[in-house]
Amino acid sequence: MTFDEILDLLNGIMRTTGVFNFDPKVIVMWAIASMFIYLAIAKKFEPLLLLPIGFGIFIVNFPLVPMMGFEHGRPQLLQFFYHYGLEWEIIPCVIFLGLGAMTDFGPLIANPKTLLIGAGAQLGVFITFTGTVLAGFTLKEAASVGIIGGADGPTTVYLTTLLAPQLLGANALAAYSYMAMVPLIQPPIMRMMTSKKERKIRMRQLRPVSKKEKMLFPLVTAGIIALLVPSVTPLMGMFMFGNLMKESGVVGRLSESAQGSLMNIVTIFLGVSVGATMYADKFLSWKPLFIFGLGLIDFAVCTVGGILTVKIMNRFLKEKINPLIGSAGVSAVPMAARVSELEGLKADKSNHLLMHAMGPNLAGVIGSAAAAGMFIAMFH
Amino acid sequence: MKKYMMLLIGLTFLFPASVMAEDFLGAPVIPGGQVLLKTHSRLELSVPKGHDEVLEYYKDALKNFKDIRIRDWKQGTHIEDDGSLPWHSITIVKGGTNETKITIVKDSWTWILGTLVLRFVGVFIVLLLLFLALTAAGAIISKSVARAEAKQSAAKT
Repeated sequence: MTFDEILDLLNGIMRTTGVFNFDPKVIVMWAIASMFIYLAIAKKFEPLLLLPIGFGIFIVNFPLVPMMGFEHGRPQLLQFFYHYGLEWEIIPCVIFLGLGAMTDFGPLIANPKTLLIGAGAQLGVFITFTGTVLAGFTLKEAASVGIIGGADGPTTVYLTTLLAPQLLGANALAAYSYMAMVPLIQPPIMRMMTSKKERKIRMRQLRPVSKKEKMLFPLVTAGIIALLVPSVTPLMGMFMFGNLMKESGVVGRLSESAQGSLMNIVTIFLGVSVGATMYADKFLSWKPLFIFGLGLIDFAVCTVGGILTVKIMNRFLKEKINPLIGSAGVSAVPMAARVSELEGLKADKSNHLLMHAMGPNLAGVIGSAAAAGMFIAMFH
Repeated sequence: MKKYMMLLIGLTFLFPASVMAEDFLGAPVIPGGQVLLKTHSRLELSVPKGHDEVLEYYKDALKNFKDIRIRDWKQGTHIEDDGSLPWHSITIVKGGTNETKITIVKDSWTWILGTLVLRFVGVFIVLLLLFLALTAAGAIISKSVARAEAKQSAAKT
């Protein structure tokens, strides 16, 4: 073998490595991935999702890695998860099944008025839609960006996959990031929107909710949603089915699996496959940055919408509602309710709002799903 | 020459269809139509063709457009653009076999804002109905539970 032949051989081997095909743009993506992994590990910001998303971003941004493409017509590993999990809209629905099995709707059933707060908190979703259209996005893209303010990860993923899959990475990342940042974003808005007197409003203890009511709730809700917003039944149907399993008490094993192992498995697939959609060529443009900026405004307007709804309701109610629980209407369960509790305690150390805030918090999940259903109906 | 020019201008006013552009705000316009109304935001025309033939023409003409949605309604076929084209919709009225009316409408903020407000109100209506259902169910169940408890305590005494 001559020296030239050895060099040719080495050259051939080099060409199959990532080093030879290196694109400097991926360094930016590594930085983004590292930031999310850091936030998940060091700051504990939504670690269950930001860690797999961060790793997904990291691993697909290496040249030649067989992760997110097709080989001889067969999907590669993460493409496989993405295709069957997200494109087929399975993962968000299974996550909702698990969430339903985890959720106690007692506070919402005891005070159903709070459902209206969940509707009011969708204000930002519709305002952001307008802003996004003005910026030159298509109507479908605008709807998928708007739903970020609903602070409901699975709903954002579901709607974006349906209407604007090209924005999935940016939208999911913005939704989960802002959900994690609820304790930073909401308190200043809550203080700005309420007076000291309003923050001290005490609410009557919630009535106990019977087992029968809790069992009836998922059936009634699923029925009403299926009748009025059928397009979102896959999400809400699974949510309510999970809850019925929990409340019925007769399928403990199924309920445990739904909220435990099944939920964990799909969370892994959701995280890595969402992260894997963000490769440098597609992600590095003005759109994701714009989505992040607008998502923040969206979130803030939704918070304002929830608080405003309580203030309007208080004009007609004899028993006033503490407007601090209005901010919990953005869903982000249970973080937003905890923020209401903490802000309430700052105003009055003996005024506990957590259970009261859980009502609008859960209503926010239903409200954001209803808003998503309205958008799906608009385009399908 | 001047006479011919005048004749040409006169014909232009007499037969608007003959000078109609091939598109209206970027939306294709089927040839051979008679313009019924034309403003900056709306074009209405009538063509001597059946609904299905017109629909076929539009399906073919719009096949390369990305965000087009075709809705089959009872009164007609509604072709809508969900992207960012200058036109919003093309409506092909059903009914006539030899005469079909087509309406092309400009994309407008009135439609976008109108549909958004309606949908926001729609979210309220959904949750309001749920509120009413829960209140009713809660009242009925609470009463039945209270009645059962009263029976039990009466039986004990």
